[in-house]
Amino acid sequence: MDHRAPTGDPLLTARFTPPAVPELLVHRSELLGRLAAGAGGPLTLINGPAGSGKTVLTAHWAADRRAQRPPMWLTVEPDDAPGAFWAYVLEALHRGGVTLPSEVGRPTRAEGVTRSFLVRLADGLAGSPQPAVLVLDQFDTAQPPATAEALDFVLRHAAGGLRIVLTSRSDPLLPLHRYRAAGEIVEIRHADLRFTHEDAEALLGEHRLDISQAGIRRLMERTEGWAAGVRLCALAMQRSADPETFLRQFAADRTTIAGYLLTEVLDAQPPPTQDLLLRVCVTDRVHPDLADALTGREDGARTLAGLARDNAFLEQIDASAWYRLHPLFAEVLRAHLRQRCPGLEPRLHGRAARWLARTGRLTEAVLQGAAAGDWPFAAAQLVDNLALGRLLTGLEADQLGRAFAGMPPGTAGAAPALVAGACRLAAQDLSGCEAALRRADAALTDSCGPAAHLGRAFLGVLAGRAAGDLTATERAAGDADRLLGELPPPLLAERPELRALLAAHLGAAELGAGHLDRAETTLTVAVAACGPPGAEHPGTQDAGTQHDGTEYPLCDALGSLALVALLQGRLRRATDHARASLAVAERSALPPGRRAGVDHLVLAGVAVEQDDLAAARCHLDLAAAATGLRPDPATTARAAVIGARTALAEGDGDAALAALRAVAPERLSDRAVAELAVAESAVHLARGDAEAALRLLDAPAADGPELAVARARALLALGRGPAAAQALAGVPEAGEDGVAAPVRAHASLLRAQLAEADGDLAQARRRLAEALALARPEELRRMFVESGPWVRRILDRDPQSARLNAWLTPAAPDRTASAPRADGQPPVVEPLTAREVEVLCKAAEMLSTEEIAAELFLSANTVKTHLKSIYRKLCVTRRSDAVHRAQDLGML
Amino acid sequence: MRYEFRISGVVPDTLAAGFPELDRIPVPEQTLLFGSVADEAHLYGLLTRFQSLGLRVLEMRRLPA
Repeated sequence: MDHRAPTGDPLLTARFTPPAVPELLVHRSELLGRLAAGAGGPLTLINGPAGSGKTVLTAHWAADRRAQRPPMWLTVEPDDAPGAFWAYVLEALHRGGVTLPSEVGRPTRAEGVTRSFLVRLADGLAGSPQPAVLVLDQFDTAQPPATAEALDFVLRHAAGGLRIVLTSRSDPLLPLHRYRAAGEIVEIRHADLRFTHEDAEALLGEHRLDISQAGIRRLMERTEGWAAGVRLCALAMQRSADPETFLRQFAADRTTIAGYLLTEVLDAQPPPTQDLLLRVCVTDRVHPDLADALTGREDGARTLAGLARDNAFLEQIDASAWYRLHPLFAEVLRAHLRQRCPGLEPRLHGRAARWLARTGRLTEAVLQGAAAGDWPFAAAQLVDNLALGRLLTGLEADQLGRAFAGMPPGTAGAAPALVAGACRLAAQDLSGCEAALRRADAALTDSCGPAAHLGRAFLGVLAGRAAGDLTATERAAGDADRLLGELPPPLLAERPELRALLAAHLGAAELGAGHLDRAETTLTVAVAACGPPGAEHPGTQDAGTQHDGTEYPLCDALGSLALVALLQGRLRRATDHARASLAVAERSALPPGRRAGVDHLVLAGVAVEQDDLAAARCHLDLAAAATGLRPDPATTARAAVIGARTALAEGDGDAALAALRAVAPERLSDRAVAELAVAESAVHLARGDAEAALRLLDAPAADGPELAVARARALLALGRGPAAAQALAGVPEAGEDGVAAPVRAHASLLRAQLAEADGDLAQARRRLAEALALARPEELRRMFVESGPWVRRILDRDPQSARLNAWLTPAAPDRTASAPRADGQPPVVEPLTAREVEVLCKAAEMLSTEEIAAELFLSANTVKTHLKSIYRKLCVTRRSDAVHRAQDLGML
Repeated sequence: MRYEFRISGVVPDTLAAGFPELDRIPVPEQTLLFGSVADEAHLYGLLTRFQSLGLRVLEMRRLPA
């Protein structure tokens, strides 16, 4: 797994470290004991409102040295997108010393993770020698339901390898009833967290306050045991001349406790400290230098240290110069800021943004700039740092996209226009992107730096590919190439994905235009630019959570290379590339909604030519589920051709025609138009309408061996042998290079068919042997099946040839032995074993892996092995799909 | 939709300013905040904001239009 050495960003490190326990602390041994007991089981829930002491209690427990192994910690933040959440969980586990197998992978998309990633994670945890105890602090409702659901999944499938301690202001969206029914949860709720009379007395004692019993009773009545209230009150009393009087006033006052106490404590501070607190609250975390930038004074370090010492409002982040504000205090301070200094808040955000940008914190600078409404600044940060791509891919894409959602559409300037273009592209709005790029062009002048021009060229390449416009893509790629030379190499070194992305998109555009050889060269460059497979890429700023962004172009380029190979008739190579692309997607847990699905499409294309219709159909379904990128026009056309070939092979000519006719012919290359025509003519031939098949082939402007072969087929079907022979004359003979093997094989097959029709059996046999020799390396079975029973007749007459060509009928004996299937259903290539069928039947009853294991007296790992084998044989990736597919095939 | 929220204690002006969309009536030991709520997202957003400011909601009800 790609875990970089921590580079020591204190803000990030802080998220994986329990907050420091306050010096003045009540030892709540009963609660600590319950927490310790809870952490011995799967789930512990600590629930209570802000300031009720959830985090302090949990941090206290985590700091307990008596624990055998300290728990791992993750402070969840509301902006954590699901993908980012899981990346942080992996990082927390890694920092806690949990070694997960490398095949678990790492999420690279903000939107979410795949179910198979969760399965691998759960498996990895189940296999670890001792359970991992992970605290998820502030796991609030800001988390989307999918995250809670995924957490529940991992927890239930980790076979005891994961124990979670959650702190949250509201109940998480986990099926708590199920954990309660199973006795697998310990809950510490608001009522448990309330300070008792004794707790309050102990805390006041820690503050060296000597309060009467009546005073403590008043305090308890007023605060109802709310921990933050008791603490704030102790703080205010320390500063008050007469604590008892303060308590009486507090008890008599009817203002909400938080408002009253915070105002009291704030007003008790000297004016410069008040001013500092009000100003730093615009960021949740504050550095002394940032505080100085916000106040314009130089007392930040001293004042913050003093406040932290008093435990008022903020605390120091472990072993760093940074401080964090208590969330409740930050909110109240912001309310005070808005009331006391109206209009100052945006200006403070702007100052914070500039300080963060100066100190190299790009994402935070952009977010603060956006909060300031300073769009030119926020946009320029992304453009100048060559980070426009982060709006499209990566863990922060959602967060950054949301930040710019408030940018007015017509914001002036080149950088805002470029950001708007990238956002439109992320939303798959091509014309919106093109409009934004036109605005950028109008605003871009020579005085703009090379970064802005590169940003324009970068988006030009992406938009050009999506539009299927090779000329525009090439122009933009040429610009980008030139501009890359003008940029400082250290900046480029931080963006290894840039060159890869540019080459991957250019190669895809070349492929779309039908330039296979050029595309292959460009795409190979793109793959090489992604670095050696599986290599560690050191050097990016945030350890572990910041991937270097090459997964996406790598997956894309491999998919395109697979398509190139398929069109070249190199089916094995196509399969290898497609599988490599899928492996990258799998490792980085790319959700299907973000994948182009070209890899599955290619595998379907390979499968149909090899006459493996079950696999073809299943890959087509998987390709259809990958809805991420709107495919360029050429890919759409190719998807239709492969879909039509499969439907036709399944005997559904109507579906084949419908697929082909759904393609809009605009923006298609001649080659793609020809591919569509050949596919449609094959449909007509299969329906016995050779005239229609021939008519279609006269239309396309492009000429080539594929069309000649298709024409010869149609002519042969019409009984016009000499014309067919003439059509084939233009196709190179076997042994000649330059034409794809499948086309030459097909030509030889047609020549054999011609000879057979003429009664020249010797010639037919010779030509057929030629065709089979050409088709054998790639196992091109489909064309022989399509050609008709005469092939089999010739082969059967010659036992030697029949033996030699056994590959034409793969695993035939097994097929009949497999479970009975409904008519018309494609066969399973490899039958399931009796044990696999048993496992699948249990899976169909919605049993979990553990439950299946128990029922069949197997280990959970054996069940998993069976399931993996079932998935492979049925060509699916999920349990539910396996069940559906088996049901469709009549195996269950 | 119009809603009324009954908050424990008197909400000070500073905190109430965070809810410009709501009107406020102090009642003994409590505060009534009421006003029109755009949709369910707004409603839950308000509840979260009450919570993050340490305001305790005792009661919430929909008012007749």
